[in-house]
Amino acid sequence: MGIMKLSTRATTPSKRRRQLTKNLVAYSFILPNLLGFAIFTLVPIVFSLGLAFMSWDGANEISWVGLENFKELRDDTTFNIALRNTLWYVAGTVPLTMICSLGLAMLLNQPIRGRNIFRTIYFFPYVASLVAVAAVWNMLFFPSAGPVNELLRTLGVDNPPRWSASIDWAMPTVVMASVWKGMGYYMVIYLAALQGIPAILYESAKIDGANAWQRFRYITLPMLTPATFFISIMLTISSFKVFDLILIMTNGGPGRATNVLVLHTYNVAFRRFEFGYSSAIAMVLFALVMGITIVQFYMEKRWVEYSQV
Amino acid sequence: MNKWSDWRVVNLLTILLVALIAVSGGVIPSGVSAQDSITLKMTAWDVATTPYWQAVIDAYEAANPNVKVELIDLASADYGEVINVRLTGGDDTDIITVKDIPQYAAMLTRGQVIPLNDYIEAAGLDLSMYSGAADELIFEGSIYGLPFRSDIWILYYNKAIFDEAGLDYPANDITWEEFDALARQLTSGSGADKIYGAHFHVWRSCVQLATVQDGQNSIIAEDYSFMAPMYTMVTSMQKDGIAMDYGEQRAGNIHYSGPFKNGQVAMLPMGSWFIGSLIAAEKAGEFDFDWGVGAFPHPEGVPAGTTAGTLTSLAINAKSNNKDAAWDFIKFYSGEEGAKALAATGNLPAVRTPDVLEIFASLDGVPAEAIEALQTTTVRLELPMHPDVGEIEQILNEEHDLIMTRSVSVEEGLAEATERINEVLED
Amino acid sequence: MTSLSRTDTNKRTARSTLGRPSLLSTLLIYGLLIAIAFIMLLPFVWMFSASLKLDKDVFRFPIEWIPKDPQWSNYETIWTRIPFLTFFANTLKLTVIITFLQLATSSFAAYAFAKLEFKGRDFLFLAYLGSIAIPWQVYMIPQFILMRELDLVDKHMSLIMLQAFTAFGVFLMRQFFISVPNEILDAARIDGMSEYGIYFRIMLPLSKPALATLTIFSAVFVWNDFMGPLIYLYSESRKTIQLGLRMFIQQYSTDYHLIMAASLISLIPVIILFLAFQRFFVEGIGTTGIKG
Repeated sequence: MGIMKLSTRATTPSKRRRQLTKNLVAYSFILPNLLGFAIFTLVPIVFSLGLAFMSWDGANEISWVGLENFKELRDDTTFNIALRNTLWYVAGTVPLTMICSLGLAMLLNQPIRGRNIFRTIYFFPYVASLVAVAAVWNMLFFPSAGPVNELLRTLGVDNPPRWSASIDWAMPTVVMASVWKGMGYYMVIYLAALQGIPAILYESAKIDGANAWQRFRYITLPMLTPATFFISIMLTISSFKVFDLILIMTNGGPGRATNVLVLHTYNVAFRRFEFGYSSAIAMVLFALVMGITIVQFYMEKRWVEYSQV
Repeated sequence: MNKWSDWRVVNLLTILLVALIAVSGGVIPSGVSAQDSITLKMTAWDVATTPYWQAVIDAYEAANPNVKVELIDLASADYGEVINVRLTGGDDTDIITVKDIPQYAAMLTRGQVIPLNDYIEAAGLDLSMYSGAADELIFEGSIYGLPFRSDIWILYYNKAIFDEAGLDYPANDITWEEFDALARQLTSGSGADKIYGAHFHVWRSCVQLATVQDGQNSIIAEDYSFMAPMYTMVTSMQKDGIAMDYGEQRAGNIHYSGPFKNGQVAMLPMGSWFIGSLIAAEKAGEFDFDWGVGAFPHPEGVPAGTTAGTLTSLAINAKSNNKDAAWDFIKFYSGEEGAKALAATGNLPAVRTPDVLEIFASLDGVPAEAIEALQTTTVRLELPMHPDVGEIEQILNEEHDLIMTRSVSVEEGLAEATERINEVLED
Repeated sequence: MTSLSRTDTNKRTARSTLGRPSLLSTLLIYGLLIAIAFIMLLPFVWMFSASLKLDKDVFRFPIEWIPKDPQWSNYETIWTRIPFLTFFANTLKLTVIITFLQLATSSFAAYAFAKLEFKGRDFLFLAYLGSIAIPWQVYMIPQFILMRELDLVDKHMSLIMLQAFTAFGVFLMRQFFISVPNEILDAARIDGMSEYGIYFRIMLPLSKPALATLTIFSAVFVWNDFMGPLIYLYSESRKTIQLGLRMFIQQYSTDYHLIMAASLISLIPVIILFLAFQRFFVEGIGTTGIKG
């Protein structure tokens, strides 16, 4: 995390005072945001995490049940299915989106006419409202007569997949939809980061005889690592939390083929009114995501190259 | 020097912050001042597109000038969830409209709505005017809502397709076997000219209702193998191209009204709510063929006129501050006067006195056969009241989805439903 | 390693660094760009075509890409069937306020996380990150209880309070700030500039691309948010576009033709915003001197 050692050993009063001022100045920067964040986000979060150890139906008394909710997870087949599906979704979405968005950004970083237009077009899917996107996407992948399967048939595929109507293909369909919708978003971050690479680096590399691949490999990629780091974390977290897209596109179906952890949490809370158990599932998700995030932060020092620090 | 400027800004920010907190504290109001008139709040959905909410309220307000009723419009598709968040969050909206049985069960088992028995007794209300519908809402001796709207399942048909095939229109007394045979005769064409003999919408109820018409089984059961014959019939109709494929309907968001209005469907088992929307579409010139309605098909050995239905009812929030006023409004809304206002907007009220039905039948565009088709002998509720009905419904939906997409066989799917639902019932 | 070269860079244009690509590679690049644009736009073409159909024909196969009898009146209906203009104004108001607050507070906080040393920094930052890892659906109810206590339900203030202080904004800005060379800040400190001065006069001007990026993300999020308004807003005069769109999804029918028309219309402001802002985020630190 680029953790700098805090100079905690304040020996003289003036030094201590300077440290205090420093802290206060820093807190004053954080305070406006922290205040709103703590009241409206952190407090509810702490409350609902506490619920993981309780039993509550949303109306009657809350009672302490300790680890009961977590024990229940073992026998919950839907939880196991949802966990597996979530991991599938993350494993599919994260690398695909990163590769596609980096590719788009590289392509649009070329000196070409009309790149503003292309950039805007590529950003379109991210802006579109989900209800419309889900309908359109299902339409294009319509099993019998949708454009995608028509194309596949002309290419000689006799039995094209039934996409969202099939338990085997529903998840890949959702993954494709999410990559399509999300890559414009991450492309923007990559584009901004690409603009931050000093042109002189490329020029001197050229003088040294580096070819295009070498320049990409030894200049672009390393210089993009802060952005890549940010994107990989945000994308991982948001993929673990996938909800809206699945709710609207497949509602977890066929059967439970695309049921994911957040959808399960939601159903447990809103169909079974087991808010404690629902929080317990969220805790598992939280632990999973935080575990991965912390590992990513730990690894950051090895591969992310900030221009100083 | 810069140290001091930092200090000053810190101080300034602190003052600002304290001021902010003080101001936001002051915003919290102290409670409502006493007024002569009462404002009741009521939750609803589709207010912008459904005229009856306001129509009945207008009728009530005209009779009770000191009462104002305010509608809280919530998105239809997410109504249950939003109500849940609001009630759990301590909301005090007086009247809660109950959209379906899972929502009803959720509210009453958690004490969020009050039993109406005392009110009903005091008012001397006779629940028999709901012809049995109200009985379905009784749980452990108490009733928590009064029905105001009641839709039943009937059979819609395209007369043009029947005429073309030279077949008689379905009578008000056909069995599911006859329905199947008829559908096979009516199917023709392919591609854009395809005509389906029958259409089953994706809902679970489209298949499952027929399995409980005989009254021997319930949707909440310990063994679901009784559903096998109907599932076998519907899946084979889809396999044979007699009815549109389920997976395609799901994937393509295909709403039953599209194929029917496009003249691609000969027979459509559907709820009575579709009458109003068909009339409107016909008037708007969306299609120009004659259509008719008949009674819902029934299993062999079950009397004609046996069907299934849904109820929309009104309940009083346990946190309401105007329970008595809310009761008076509910009584009106669910009673004969409310029913007349509702019928005049083309909807079927829960109270169906001859007067009320007369209003409905005389509406422009209602097919002549409608009144006869709506004469029912027995109406079974789509979902019976049960504390775990929400969870059970979800399992049934999932297994229905698997069977209908032909991801599992009928037997496997029903066996899995049996196993999963028994787990819930045992808890 | 790069900080020293930054000033030299400003004198050069991005174009000169890449040289003149050959005709073949130019053609290839354009071919690729157009192919991708096609994939990106195809769904929108379908949406447009669907928006000109009757409800019953929207999902009819084979797809009729050019409707025989285009229903332009659908674009009138969306303004009359529901108060779409009011929803537009509400959404615009929320988007502007939330985005502004988000930019101001999160860049302010991010400066401290990126460039200042203080007690509890890493812990606080982890708390911010951790909050992103919890699905909103889980703490939606406690949050609603809180809002009700503060009497903010059915007021725009509830959504402003919920969405203006996000961990995402802080994280994004921190990542950008952290790559600004410390040497610049140290030099300013030696010159007697306070931290606030550094933030306003050095950091903000340098981080235009980041601010533009955050503006777009925040605006798109608020513009398209459905669950927040669903739970907190119910008076017609306060609803947003996304709630309006769902009004076309009714209990027994869904007017997909109107949804498509309204979705397309609601795209326009965001696309304009993107067009207006993109020059900021593609004119980053490395290429600000393009005209020189």
